[in-house]
Amino acid sequence: MKTARNRAKAQGWPPSVRQRMRQAIYSFHVRAFGEELARVNFLPRAKRRQYVGEMVDHALRKGVKFEKPALGVTL
Amino acid sequence: MLALRGSILYKRSNMPLSYAQLERFYERLVTKARDGGIPCAITSGMACVAFGVAQTTKDCDLLCAPAAASKLLDLLSRTSLMGRLPAYRGDLSAPLDERWFRGGWTSHFVWNAAGIDAYLDVFGVAPRGSSPWQTELEGFYACRHTVAEMKRTNRERDWPYVTALGAQMIEAGDARGWLHIFDEDLLVALTQAARPPASLINQRPVLGLAVKGDLRLRSALHAEVQLWHELDRARIRVYLGAARPYASAVSKARLAPGAALEVQHRTRLQCAQEHLPSNPLEDYGVGRLINDARTALKRLVNPAALAWLPDVRDHFKLTQA
Repeated sequence: MKTARNRAKAQGWPPSVRQRMRQAIYSFHVRAFGEELARVNFLPRAKRRQYVGEMVDHALRKGVKFEKPALGVTL
Repeated sequence: MLALRGSILYKRSNMPLSYAQLERFYERLVTKARDGGIPCAITSGMACVAFGVAQTTKDCDLLCAPAAASKLLDLLSRTSLMGRLPAYRGDLSAPLDERWFRGGWTSHFVWNAAGIDAYLDVFGVAPRGSSPWQTELEGFYACRHTVAEMKRTNRERDWPYVTALGAQMIEAGDARGWLHIFDEDLLVALTQAARPPASLINQRPVLGLAVKGDLRLRSALHAEVQLWHELDRARIRVYLGAARPYASAVSKARLAPGAALEVQHRTRLQCAQEHLPSNPLEDYGVGRLINDARTALKRLVNPAALAWLPDVRDHFKLTQA
């Protein structure tokens, strides 16, 4: 999020505003996805992808089916 | 070659391909396609994972420029995964052809590799996309704005992803993110910290309610989400209705199992030419679709909230082009 911070800086938002926005966004992630996934969403990209990969692989080993029906139209 | 032939042995089960390998397979497919002059980008779930909104998915949704559909088909027919070539999936899958791609149809493919099926859905027009996805990419992926528009589906579970992507855009200084915040608490908190541009408040009236701290915000947001739900339901109904005769023809064609992708494609193309309208949404009428959705909405929400709905026509103009 270095780039995001830099752009926000370029927009002229003071640090206190940026901090409030970031806190509000993190609280949303906790509400919407739960504490664990909120934590994962804010991990560095490589670690996040590794976590999701392990989660999907584990689910597949347990027999979870991910495929969507092929309906000829995007759902 | 794009083929991935490696195999990973997990603790107690032999899982031939991990999610990470599958992801690399699709990214290499995009690289190969772009090197071959095929504009394309991964979208939906895999894009969300890349953007920092974790989602459990292993299927790949790929946007491809309609004009490059035949080139992509050629590439796919040569792309193996663990020694297996892809096949069309399902009778409803449209042929990977420019005419049907422009009309908003999707082509579904599967690699039946040992121990894992890899799914690829390809489409030319991003549903609900208000601008051409090709003009803005983020690496292997469609941009956040496109992905967020596509995620305005009739599935409840997609909406937190829309809001999360919108929040990232705002934080990154992309004002279009204000169009994607559908969580009331977050919208209130963000508008207390910063003000959306006036042009976006005109485009999305609920933003004005949030800025003023108007108590009608909750019902207006609810109505807005329900409008997108109804629009998506109506869109899918139109396409599925138009696809029935085609699906029946594909089913009757009874291709030999394991037929080459080119053979499968020729059969589907023949069935499509006879039975599949290229652009059912245009035939039905976008105005009529929007009216259908708004009529359904009147039965679901507080009628006063209808005053705050956005004009959604721009989100269907690309299918009409």
